[in-house]
Amino acid sequence: MGAKRQRPARTEFRYNTGYNLTMQIYLPIAEMSLNALMLLGLGGMVGFLSGMFGVGGGFLMTPLLIFIGVPPAVAVGTEANQVVAASVSGALAHWRRGNVDFRMGAILLIGGFVGSSLGVWLFTFLRSIGQIDFVIAASYVLFLGIIGVLMVGESVRAWCRARNPSAPRRKLHKHTWLHGLPFKMRFRRSKLYISALLPLFIGIFVGVLAAIMGVGGGFVMVPAMIYLLGMPTSVVVGTSLFQIVFVTANVTFLQSVNNQTVDIVLALLLIVGSVIGAQIGARVGGRLRGEEVRIALGLIVLAVCARVAWTLVVTPDDVFSLGQAGGHR
Amino acid sequence: MILARLLAIVLGLLVSVSAAQSQRLAVDLSKSEVAISTGFTGTELLLFGATEGYGDIVVTVVGPRRGEVVRRKQRIAGIWVNQESVTFKSAPAYYRIAASKPLKQITSPAILDQLQIGVAEIDLVTQSRRPTKEVADFRDALIRNKKRLLLYSEDISDIKIVRDLLFRSTIPFPANVPTGDYEVTVHLFDAGKPISQVATSLPVRKVGLGAQLYSFAHAHAPWYGALAIVIALAAGWLAGVIFRRT
Repeated sequence: MGAKRQRPARTEFRYNTGYNLTMQIYLPIAEMSLNALMLLGLGGMVGFLSGMFGVGGGFLMTPLLIFIGVPPAVAVGTEANQVVAASVSGALAHWRRGNVDFRMGAILLIGGFVGSSLGVWLFTFLRSIGQIDFVIAASYVLFLGIIGVLMVGESVRAWCRARNPSAPRRKLHKHTWLHGLPFKMRFRRSKLYISALLPLFIGIFVGVLAAIMGVGGGFVMVPAMIYLLGMPTSVVVGTSLFQIVFVTANVTFLQSVNNQTVDIVLALLLIVGSVIGAQIGARVGGRLRGEEVRIALGLIVLAVCARVAWTLVVTPDDVFSLGQAGGHR
Repeated sequence: MILARLLAIVLGLLVSVSAAQSQRLAVDLSKSEVAISTGFTGTELLLFGATEGYGDIVVTVVGPRRGEVVRRKQRIAGIWVNQESVTFKSAPAYYRIAASKPLKQITSPAILDQLQIGVAEIDLVTQSRRPTKEVADFRDALIRNKKRLLLYSEDISDIKIVRDLLFRSTIPFPANVPTGDYEVTVHLFDAGKPISQVATSLPVRKVGLGAQLYSFAHAHAPWYGALAIVIALAAGWLAGVIFRRT
């Protein structure tokens, strides 16, 4: 059962007599020291991808933070905080252009508040029984796997269709049992008359994911809005960003209160890097072809999924691990 | 007769007291505290002191005690999942020992045990009802993991003695050093007997902005959360404004 080989500690152990020139910065909540330039670069890289592909980037950033040694609980709490910043400028831009369905957004938001509060409670519970790291990793494998496969499949099909236009098209809006649910509401901006329960449940589900995975949840909500609700694509992104800002703000607040796992210093470094990266990415992304961009994003999602799955199946160096009773890690 | 015996006892006491005082030990640290500032990447303190005459020196540094949970992963359907756990109450967050020569050559195991010198002698109390052998596995795992994090160490040859009088030793603190009150104890042994002992407390604490943020996050969690949200909203909005102009 013993350790097969001694690995150097994750935390850099360097003696320091005067000022450090390596740009190491001590993160007060994560209680570790990391290179500030590396964090800015990480934020910039994820920001670049999120700007290029028009996604939040939380689903990339949280696993990357965990890979570089940030305690998973801190990575999730801090990333929720970063997503607030990453979504707000986009939400405002869409609002100005009138691309937000506020009625739909409000229902999604009510669900989101319920779901994220439930999610943080679940997070706190799982942390107390020592299963939070596993649940975070397993959620990532599950959702990134599904979304990645769907994305690559859909894009490849679209790409083939573009080359062979005679192939049959899939109908965008189908009438299913989902449309027979009660509490029907009219959503004028989306030109829909559907049950309010549908967006409510989507909101709850995405809220739980936001709390446990430290993401905005756009990668689940956007497809759900298009395929389940049948919303017009013009309002989908604006409405989901509107919901994400408030839900991730709620997660930030509740994680701060319940678990003290939001590291403002870490969040700020990631925010600065990601807002700059996102602007560059958006400019580059505008010049690329839609299907190819989506295939590339799908492959990145699958790569992250595989990397997280690897941590679950590979034999750990030491099957024993430490956690503080009622504290960090 | 009685008076003479009393006198003998008093004399005897005086002699023993002066004998103890003759083995005096003076110790100091290069810093009175370990300050974790924003640029903290670990540090090293110098412990130095003097003895009057020859002896063996053992230095122990014990961090604040707190509960530690040790969890064991097991493979379930190919996936490693935490299963059993044992909670050790009041495990030292940090433990370091340095000695002028190997402990076995300094004194007997019984005395080391009594003074709790050595990683193997750390008091780790648990209320776990698991079999003793299994608890020992968890105990070993705690020590092994702490060593890997550079929080427990036994650096036996670390103390340098100069002319049988002066000695010095360095105490390393990694970047992940836990905060709290540390106890630095210097033991002086002569011919296997502990003859003198000096203890000083050493606070390890966060200073500057990091310290304020940490205590703010714990003491006023709702306000900290609100601040985090406001900063993120402002940063996101500002970025939007700046890049829209350019």
